Amino acid sequence: MIDIVGLIASNLIWILAIVIGGTLISISVHFIPVGGAPAAMAQATGIGTGTVMLAAGAGIAGIIAAGAVMAVNQNIWVVIGAAAVGAAVMLAATMIVATWIYAYGVGVMPVSAKVKYDPITKYRQDLYVSQGTEGHGIPTVAYVSASIGGLLGGLGAGLAYYALMKVSTLPVTNLNLVAVVSTFTIGFFFINSVIPSYNIVGTIEGFHDPKFKKWPKAAIASFLASIPLGILAVVAVASLASVGGL
Amino acid sequence: MTEKKMIPPNTLLAFGVVGGLLGVYLAYFLAPMNPIFVFFGALGAVCASVWGADVVRRVASYGLGTGVPSIGMLALGMGIIAVLFGLSLGLGPAGPLVAFITSCVIGAIIGIISKKVVGMTIPIMVSATTEIAGAGALLILGLSIVIAGSLDFGVVVTEVITTGFIMMIYIAGGMAMLHPHNSNLGPDETQDRLLALSAEKAGIAVVLSGFASVAGMGAMAVTMLIGLFIWYTFWGKYYGFVKRDAYKVIDVGMLPTEEEMQ
Repeated sequence: MIDIVGLIASNLIWILAIVIGGTLISISVHFIPVGGAPAAMAQATGIGTGTVMLAAGAGIAGIIAAGAVMAVNQNIWVVIGAAAVGAAVMLAATMIVATWIYAYGVGVMPVSAKVKYDPITKYRQDLYVSQGTEGHGIPTVAYVSASIGGLLGGLGAGLAYYALMKVSTLPVTNLNLVAVVSTFTIGFFFINSVIPSYNIVGTIEGFHDPKFKKWPKAAIASFLASIPLGILAVVAVASLASVGGL
Repeated sequence: MTEKKMIPPNTLLAFGVVGGLLGVYLAYFLAPMNPIFVFFGALGAVCASVWGADVVRRVASYGLGTGVPSIGMLALGMGIIAVLFGLSLGLGPAGPLVAFITSCVIGAIIGIISKKVVGMTIPIMVSATTEIAGAGALLILGLSIVIAGSLDFGVVVTEVITTGFIMMIYIAGGMAMLHPHNSNLGPDETQDRLLALSAEKAGIAVVLSGFASVAGMGAMAVTMLIGLFIWYTFWGKYYGFVKRDAYKVIDVGMLPTEEEMQ
């Protein structure tokens, strides 16, 4: 039996880091243009899959980047920076390929149905929306928004990963530690990307979408949900060092 | 929809909890005698997945506002964190039970938060997240013991997590819970067809985890055979239900050849 209270008390700072990470993940989801099934049929703006798949894909890319960097450099800024860039690159790559498919395969132009003028390029949008659709493709503003979302989500995932790695006394190159921490972070990322997707309800285009204003609710929800999850994760990861033979 | 002979939620709850825990514990206590008995864990995982699929069916029919897969991923996410926590405490035989209870508690917390803070209007949200978290934890425990041959924290870490099989459990197990509703939803959805599909998917997960097992050739062979049997039986049942529920099943034949198109 291990001393749970002592473990929690001595790792409060890392629990806080995990909770902040979870909140960042939750906010990041609101930036990502999720179109779901309608977007897959080019009937709504965004990428044609669900919030969880996109956010989790980006988060896992971020965790891989963080894990790879952490083995050689344990500076917190380097680790979470790598995670943020890894997640943003993953999302950007997904979106550029999706844009090619929408433009050359489906034959629609990237256009937003939520704003009259693209806030970044100032191009007129409403004229190009096909009748009966909610926009299609990934317009510039949604692309930029998703890249910001990827950065934030990766930052959150990297922070949670870094905190959990620091909780254990095992060396950061221990494969078992890396595996357990990655598994935890992925589970944590899934939970914190599902909560905001229940807040968004359906599709969102990015920071210019009226639904974006709902983000504080999801941020509070994820903040609260991350506290017990952070405590459980810290206890499990810290007790890993006392298991023999790892 | 024709005559409705539904299994009530509480029966499935009892089936999932009792079957799941019984399977995990039989495997836990019998595996030291003979590793072949890890297959009980697989049977427990199947019970848990059928229970979870029914909960997903009930909660997702209210309309989650996002895809059905989200709730399956949520279930396994909560389950993974709870299972690792429960096993890490080093409580011996109490570990799986602690993991299951912890998972239900996290599920309840997430359910209350999504109701009170996010403002979801689904009336059964709290009980549903509690139940799917419990089902997720039992599913992970059942398949983990098949792979590792033991629920000792160190063994589970080295054999299930470090090897990466946990992600196979995550996706294959999540698929057994979320896919049945996702593919059967609609006005003609029937419970027995959906549950048969869940058991069929769980059978695939059992075959995969049996293949990944390190508990010895005997355990591998027995678990894979049981998995194949479950898969074959419930695939047949599912196909029967599909034919029963469909208005008409017709054979469209092969695609026409180029000459026939002229």
